[in-house]
Amino acid sequence: MGRPVAIIGVGQTYHGRRMDVSYPELVREAVMAVFKETGLAPDDIDGVVSGTMPSMMEGIALTHFYFADAMQAAGKPIMKTETCGSTGVSIAHTAYYWVASGVADLVLAVGHEKMNEGNSQATMTTVAEPFYQRYFISGAPGVFSMQSQMWTARYGIPEEKTRDAAAFISVTHHDDAFDNPYAHIKMKVSMDDVKNARIITYPVRLLDVCPNSDGACAVIFASEKMVKKLKLKPAWVKGVGYRGEEYFFGDSDKVVWEAAIQAAKQAYDQAGIKNPRKELDVAEVYNPFTFQEMLFYECFGFCELGESPDLVLKGTFTRKGELPCDPSGGVLCTNPIGATGLIRVAEAALQVTGKAGAHQVPGAKLALAHAMGGVDQFNGIMILGSEL
Amino acid sequence: MARRVAMVAVAQNAGIETKDNFYDQAYRVTKEVLDKAGMTRDDIETVVSASSDVFHGGISCANSYYWETTGAFLKNASRQDGESLFALFYGAMRIMSGHYDTALVISLCKGSENPPNDTCTLMYSDPFYLRNVGLTETLAAAFQMRLYMEKYKITEEQCARVAVKNLRNALGNPYAHRKGRYTVEDIIRSERIADPLTAMQCAPKSEGMVAAILVSEEKAKKYTNRPVWIKGFGSSLDSYSIGDRDLLKGQLSNAARRAYKMAGIKNPAEEIDLAEISEPYAFQELMWCEDLGFCKKGQGGKMIESGMTERNGALPINPSGGVLSNNPYVSRGLQRAVEAYLQIRGEAGERQVSKKVKTALAHGVHGFAGQCHAVVILGR
Repeated sequence: MGRPVAIIGVGQTYHGRRMDVSYPELVREAVMAVFKETGLAPDDIDGVVSGTMPSMMEGIALTHFYFADAMQAAGKPIMKTETCGSTGVSIAHTAYYWVASGVADLVLAVGHEKMNEGNSQATMTTVAEPFYQRYFISGAPGVFSMQSQMWTARYGIPEEKTRDAAAFISVTHHDDAFDNPYAHIKMKVSMDDVKNARIITYPVRLLDVCPNSDGACAVIFASEKMVKKLKLKPAWVKGVGYRGEEYFFGDSDKVVWEAAIQAAKQAYDQAGIKNPRKELDVAEVYNPFTFQEMLFYECFGFCELGESPDLVLKGTFTRKGELPCDPSGGVLCTNPIGATGLIRVAEAALQVTGKAGAHQVPGAKLALAHAMGGVDQFNGIMILGSEL
Repeated sequence: MARRVAMVAVAQNAGIETKDNFYDQAYRVTKEVLDKAGMTRDDIETVVSASSDVFHGGISCANSYYWETTGAFLKNASRQDGESLFALFYGAMRIMSGHYDTALVISLCKGSENPPNDTCTLMYSDPFYLRNVGLTETLAAAFQMRLYMEKYKITEEQCARVAVKNLRNALGNPYAHRKGRYTVEDIIRSERIADPLTAMQCAPKSEGMVAAILVSEEKAKKYTNRPVWIKGFGSSLDSYSIGDRDLLKGQLSNAARRAYKMAGIKNPAEEIDLAEISEPYAFQELMWCEDLGFCKKGQGGKMIESGMTERNGALPINPSGGVLSNNPYVSRGLQRAVEAYLQIRGEAGERQVSKKVKTALAHGVHGFAGQCHAVVILGR
């Protein structure tokens, strides 16, 4: 690892269907929140990292222009990081490297999305290759449903068990979201509600899927010198991992998913983590689909391959379990895509600094944040800790 | 600067149109730069690309599409949108952080498959106020040119001279899209696109896949005995609304100040031997020269008349032909850096300047009338 870098403050919008604000106002809400939280002013910032989903979703191209003023970035050095769904974590990585390189001491990272003014599924269809794959890989659920089918088939997991485990994840995350003031969907659901919900793409049902949210997130990264000077409680960056793989869906194994396995391994090696289930206190896993969350548990080494449904049903990953996952309610309850990965990082920072409020995991010291993107292609990890 | 970073190899494939499809073209440039460095894909630890979604690339989440063809398969890679010099900075920062020793930086823009430049730049305008009036990069540049001419008594002839110089310089550049011997009259008499801008003063729409390999100081010796060091870089973003901005007092001086500070440059006019500047509109080369501190404010016109910015002048500007001769939108900044690298190494072929180049500046710009600038200083 290079120069030590820490997160010293996070700001989020109240995510949801935010028709009360324009898109720039939404961005400004998150940015002002982090300035209020840290007591810093825009003049203190050495550089700004911006990112979203592609322009087709935004209704405007090169969004760093449009949000320059909302991000308080006019007159500042800027980076524009975009890696599809993993954008949020990639923004955090860019801010991290910027400070770790010694070029900057305070970097503001901003991710945002106003999904209710765009068309996320139409946009995602234009991510797929236009000549061969676009005809059948439309939107996100198609790809992820195929992946979940591959996964259950590979390990011979009975359909009933995966349904129960997926429903269990949906129920617990929906419950968790009540304790997160910023979460979008706050709805009490039962196991039966999830299992009987409308089918989106078999086996994925409505309550297995994330919503379309409007939301923004702003995070300030600082050098060790600034952490000491500002005396703000730091969440130190302990590991940064990222991997991407082939574009054509079907070229690579999405069950023993190397992009996820190796991204986590890179971050674990930097953080000195050998047994993630034991050593991590909390994880914010990118979980737009219940089935995929289980697959990530396996690829991140939280359990053995094919074992996750059993552990889910035992409660291993609930807030009172051995390794609480997505105590914020996760992506399943809040998904403003360009912000989502950064929200995972922000939530992990809140947990290790003891500021997560009602959804705090008591005594959390080491946390994992994750995002996924591309045509089931990219995985990015950031590990944060309370100690340097 | 904590840890020094060297450029050890570059490659480009640019011009009006290639027969290769996007995939093959990206692959060939990637392979070429690796071969030139004497590397294989295994020697590359991280990849940072630059591209633009949909409007300048034909596909959303552009880096999903070209991930493996740029050598990034199962590597830690990332991407910058809109400006390729950002990718160069990011690659350098990844090495400076101590995490990596080698980085491949690549920018991808296949202009021949893209819609017209201003169909794309219209999308920078917000959908509620500006897009309705059709504000594009060319219109914004025309506003800026008129202001510049009126405030500093710059003439149309002085602006046209930039195109004359750069298109003539491009005759020596095999990667140039547009080139030729033109007179000031030819330039001014070409079709009036947005008064006072004429067609020959606006950059074309070109292809440009441009790559560079960056290596840490410790490893640089292994790959070359003539490294070109990244001495400093800086960028600056302007306010969004064009009416909120002073188009004659933009962000380039901020971006340059940051790069000069990092590189320890006190007097750019004397310390910089050559500059490759992004001038999508001819007059902008004059304005940017002023903002970069090569001459006093308002003296850009006199500077070009003096002949000092010619290929064999005291301070050659755009000996490659610049963006007026080849304009792969996102890639143009990195292409300037690659040209500066070749000049420093004395490998620029027919476009090599006669003076010795020790320190060179490369510049990238995107957006309306210089909305966002990026500057990098390279040196021996």
